[in-house]
Amino acid sequence: MNLLLEYQSQLIDGTIMTLRLALTSLVIALIFGLLGAWAKLSANRLAQRLAGAYTTIVRGVPDLVLILLVFFGGQVTLNNIGAVTGLWSYVEVSQFAAGAGTIGVIFGAYFTETFRGAIMAIPRGQIEAGISCGMRKPLIFRHIIWPQMIRFALPGFTNNWLVQLKTTALVSVIGLQDLVYNAFTAGRSTGQLFTFMAAAFVIYLLLTGISDLLLRAVERRYNRGVVRA
Amino acid sequence: MFRRTILSSVAAIALSAVALPLAAQDTLRIGVEGAYPPFSSKESDGTLIGFDIDIAKALCAEMQRECELVEQEWDGMIPALKARKFDAIVASMSITEERKRQIDFSDKYYKTPARLVASKDADFEGTPEGLAGKRIGVQRGATHQCYAEKMFPDAEIVLYGSQDEVFRDLALGRVDAQLSDSLIAQESFLSAEAGADYAFLGGDHTDVECYGEGVGIAVRKGEDALREDLSKAIAAIRENGTYAEINDTYFPFDIYGGRPAGE
Repeated sequence: MNLLLEYQSQLIDGTIMTLRLALTSLVIALIFGLLGAWAKLSANRLAQRLAGAYTTIVRGVPDLVLILLVFFGGQVTLNNIGAVTGLWSYVEVSQFAAGAGTIGVIFGAYFTETFRGAIMAIPRGQIEAGISCGMRKPLIFRHIIWPQMIRFALPGFTNNWLVQLKTTALVSVIGLQDLVYNAFTAGRSTGQLFTFMAAAFVIYLLLTGISDLLLRAVERRYNRGVVRA
Repeated sequence: MFRRTILSSVAAIALSAVALPLAAQDTLRIGVEGAYPPFSSKESDGTLIGFDIDIAKALCAEMQRECELVEQEWDGMIPALKARKFDAIVASMSITEERKRQIDFSDKYYKTPARLVASKDADFEGTPEGLAGKRIGVQRGATHQCYAEKMFPDAEIVLYGSQDEVFRDLALGRVDAQLSDSLIAQESFLSAEAGADYAFLGGDHTDVECYGEGVGIAVRKGEDALREDLSKAIAAIRENGTYAEINDTYFPFDIYGGRPAGE
């Protein structure tokens, strides 16, 4: 316990890094997810195919492989391009950008499916009713699709978010000092690995517990006026 | 595979928008590990300490260069060097033939033999015959894996991500013996509470093919000027007493070519 207090700044820094990573990648994932869902449901064949390729590839490859590929492979590729074209001599893919970007793109694929399913769950008749009332597309989206999509998407969203929060632990491989990395180094430096792993366990449980509570409150809000069968 | 490459390239290019510009060319960036006490570990406030860390700083002072220490997990150490995340590795990395195919090394800055560790009551010997059918724990990708596989073909080699995990599983009885640097085994296991019932098994192992010429500083291939500067700086701090001063902070004997105490 004393050891944990002594190393508390390490644990706190790690927790903050984990949260920053999770939230940044969440924003990226939501953007990719909305775009992906829109592309998959659009009438445009090219958009459909691109989105299909995106979800198939990203969901089919282990997260760790993609992270390593972007962080190491990406930097070598970029520098080779620079060397061949002579446009730049050296660029660095930052650990945070590689980590948050890759996790965001990966989970964007899962959110694509979540949002697509949520939009498809909206009864087609409601949208047709909107059209017959003379509503234009943006208005239909704002008043009919968006509020219901959120409601249908929330359980899947909660699920994805919890997995995403834990996936950030993978970035410790590329040297980003998140909660797992800091707990590991502290554990190895002091020879008390179990103590620090137990602390990381409790902190992750707190983070996921709080998220769960908040998201349940949001779910209640979006379910107002809906009679449960 | 082809598509995946394209995707990662696209992602990487997108990310380059937020990538950092190159740190000043003059700053020498050194990759260190941070989880290999007493060579490198972390204090409670996050400060890096240890023999490797002090040596790295002393070499920078000797070469009169600005240095920045970059933490990197062991598994990604060589890829990160090649990707130019840093310019040199000071992380107790042994000079081996296999590594020399990928990267270059300075002259050695220390060399300690490897030894087996097993329970005090072990009823087997530290020979290829004695260890046949036994489980030997070693750190993955390290020199010990090469040697264990070559020397003990009939044993079951169990691989770990870090040396600390090897010691932990030995203490838990998941492996019968472990092979590692004798100094590390002495300092972080045998002299600790967890290692009270354990002892060295057999003598020194110093196979040149796997263990090479000692521990050196790794640089990218072709960086000959930096490599020679580092070798000269190692010789200089050996000469002027800085090395001895650092050595004495951590070890009761000279580890430049030395052996652990109590032999």
